[in-house]
Amino acid sequence: MTLVGGPLFVEAVVETFLNGLQQGAIYVLVAIGLSIILGTLKFVNFAHGALYLVGTYAGLLITLKITPTGGKLADWGYTTLGLGWGFLPALVLVPILVFALGLLMERFVARPFYDRPDTDQILLTFGLAIVVQEVFKILFGGQSYNFARPAWASGQVNLPIVGTFPEWRLYIIAITAGVVVLVYGLIEYTDFGLVVRAGTRDAEMVELLGIKLSRPYLMVFGVGAALAGVAGVVGGPLYAVNPNIGTEVLVPSFLVVVIGGVGSITGAVLGGILIGETLAVMVAVAPQWSQVGIYVLAAVVLLARPQGLLGTEEVAP
Amino acid sequence: MSDEPTETADAAEDAGTVVERTDRELPSWERVTESEWFVVGVTTVAVALFPWLFARAPVVSGVLRGYQDLATLILIWGIFAMGFNLLLGYTGLLSFGHAAFWGGAAYAAGVFSAQVSSSPILVILAGTTFAALSAWVLGFVSLRRGGIYFAILTLAFGQMAYYMALSPLAWITGGENGFTGVQLGKLLGVFHLRYPVPGLGWLVGTWKYVLVGAVAILCVAAANRILHSPYGMVFRAIRENDQRAEFVGLNVWRYKLMAFVISGTFAGVAGSLFTIYSAYVPLSSFYWTTSGEVVIMSVLGGVGSLFGPILGAGVYLYVENIVSGVQKLTVPFTGPSEYLTLVEEPIVLLDGFGAYWHLILGLVFVAVVVLFPRGIWGLLEDAGSALRRLGGGR
Repeated sequence: MTLVGGPLFVEAVVETFLNGLQQGAIYVLVAIGLSIILGTLKFVNFAHGALYLVGTYAGLLITLKITPTGGKLADWGYTTLGLGWGFLPALVLVPILVFALGLLMERFVARPFYDRPDTDQILLTFGLAIVVQEVFKILFGGQSYNFARPAWASGQVNLPIVGTFPEWRLYIIAITAGVVVLVYGLIEYTDFGLVVRAGTRDAEMVELLGIKLSRPYLMVFGVGAALAGVAGVVGGPLYAVNPNIGTEVLVPSFLVVVIGGVGSITGAVLGGILIGETLAVMVAVAPQWSQVGIYVLAAVVLLARPQGLLGTEEVAP
Repeated sequence: MSDEPTETADAAEDAGTVVERTDRELPSWERVTESEWFVVGVTTVAVALFPWLFARAPVVSGVLRGYQDLATLILIWGIFAMGFNLLLGYTGLLSFGHAAFWGGAAYAAGVFSAQVSSSPILVILAGTTFAALSAWVLGFVSLRRGGIYFAILTLAFGQMAYYMALSPLAWITGGENGFTGVQLGKLLGVFHLRYPVPGLGWLVGTWKYVLVGAVAILCVAAANRILHSPYGMVFRAIRENDQRAEFVGLNVWRYKLMAFVISGTFAGVAGSLFTIYSAYVPLSSFYWTTSGEVVIMSVLGGVGSLFGPILGAGVYLYVENIVSGVQKLTVPFTGPSEYLTLVEEPIVLLDGFGAYWHLILGLVFVAVVVLFPRGIWGLLEDAGSALRRLGGGR
C-alpha cells in the first residue's frame, strides 16, 4: 500500500477508512455501555473492561475447544475446555450471560455505592477489575489464546474500490451498526427509554411522579454490560485473548465517552469512529505516533469543548 | 507554624513568676504529637531504625525476612504514595495518571545522569523539576473536568506518556528496553552510594539508603508543613465542598492545580530516587498499572493521614516481594521454626499462596474500600483510641 499516486491513493484512503471504522466499532460497543451507565446512573464503572474480558473468554469457550497450557485449570487436569459450538451461539449466549452479570453488579456493587463519592465508586470498580483479571489469570494462565474467526467469515471479500478486504471486519462493522440501532431505538422510542432519559435529567422528579427508577436502572446496567459482552465476542478474533485485554480496551473506550459526551449514544458512536479513524490514519501515515494520536485528539477536544462533542452542560457535571 | 508546645511555654513565662499550672499550660500529648518537630523527629528515628529492624535486627528481621534494598524501595514508594495522598486524601481528586510523573522523573533523571551530570543530588533535582513541569501541563488539561472525568483524563494522559516513551521518543528512552544508560556519581562528590556508612553500616546500611532516607524525611517535613499551613486547610475545604470554597472567594481551580503540581512533584522526587535505586528505568514505570499501584497503596494504608500511605506502600511492597514467595501459607508458629514451635506439623491455610497474592491483595483492597475507607492507618487509630479509653484516658 502506497500513499502516492492516483488510484492507489484512493484505494489506500478507502481501506484506511474501513479499518478505522472497524477499530472504532469495538470501542463504540464498549463505550455505549460505559456512557449510558455513566450518564443515567452517574456510576463510573472501571470494571467495564472486566465485563469485556468475561465476554471474550465466555465467547472463546462457547465457540471453540481450547487446550489450556498454563494456569490452575491445566494444573487441575482439564486438558480440553470449551463447547465448540461455533460463533453464532456465542453471539447470542454471551450477551445474555453478561447481561445477568450486569444485573448482579448493579444490585450488589453499584447500588450500595450510588450515594458514596465518585472516587469511592472508581476505587471499588478498579479493585473489582483487578480481582476479575487475576481470577482469569489464575484459571487460564497469563498466555494468549487464539480466538479464530468464524468459518463463514474468515475469507476475503472483493470490494469495489479497495479490492480484497477481510470479510470479518465488515461483519464487525455490520454487527455493531445493528446493535447500535437496537440500543438507540430502545432508548429513544420505547417507554423504558423515556423513563431512563427522564431519570437522567431529574431522577427526583421522576420518582415523585410515582415511577420507581430502581428497575430501569437495573436494566440500564444490564444492557450496558451486555454491550460489553457483545464487544468481547466480536472483538475476540481481532486481538489475542489474554487477561489484560479488559484494561487495554477500557482506556480508549473512556476516551470515546469523554470525546463524544457522556450519556449520548450518538456521541459514543461519533467518538468511537473518530478514535478508530485517527488510529487507522496514524497507522498509515506515522505508525510510531498512532497510539499517541488518540490522546492528542482527546486533549484537543477537551480544550475546545470540555463537555464532549455531543455532550450537554447540564447532564455532564 | 505548629510549634504549639513552645508557644504555651512562652505564654507561661509572660504571665509572670506565679504560675498556676493548669491543663492548658502543660502541652498535652495530642499537642506534642501534632508539633512539627515531633513529627520530623519520630520520622527520623523511624527511618534510621527501619532497615535495621527490617534486615538485621535479631528475631524481628527473622520474622519479617526483609532485606536492605526492600527497605529503600519502601521509602521511595512511600514518598510517592504520600504525595499522591496529598491530592486524593486532602483535595479529594483521584488521579490515575501519576505514573506519568513517577516515570517522567525517572526517565528525566536517567537521561540527565547520562548527558549532564551524574551527581545524585542534581539528578534528583532534574527529575523532580521535570515532573513538576509536566504535572503543571497535565493538571491544566485534566482539571478542565472534575470528579470522575478527572480520573479518566489523568488515566488517559498517563497512557499517552507511556506510548510516547514506547515509540516516538524511543531514541532517548530506549523504547521497550527501558533506559539503561544511568550514570551515578558519588554523593556530594565524596560518598560512594554503594558503600556502607562507616561505623553506622550495621544500622542504616549504605549511603544510598542514607540519601533516600534523608530525602524521605525532608518530604515528610514538607508534606506535614503544607498540610498544617493555611494552604493545606484550603485543600481540605475543597475536599469537603468545593462549591462552598468557591463561594468563600477561593480560586478553587488554582488550588486544585497547585495540589496536583505538589503531588506530581512528590512523585517526581520518588521517581528520581527510583532511578538512583535501580540504576535503570523500565518502560513499565510509565504504564498505568504503576498509577494503579500507588492508588492501591494509598487507599490500603489510609487516605487523609500523613503516614497511612507510607504504611500502605510498605505493606504492598512487603507482600509483593516477600509474601508472594511463600508457597504454603501456614498458621504462625506451626511447623519447624527458629524461635517457637507450637505444633510440629505445619497447619496449611492455603497452598500455592504465592500465585494468589495479587488476587488476595485485590480482594483486601475491595474490602478496605467498602468497609474501612480510612485504611489500615484508620484501623490503627481506632484501635489506639479504644486502648486509651480502656486505660481510662480521655
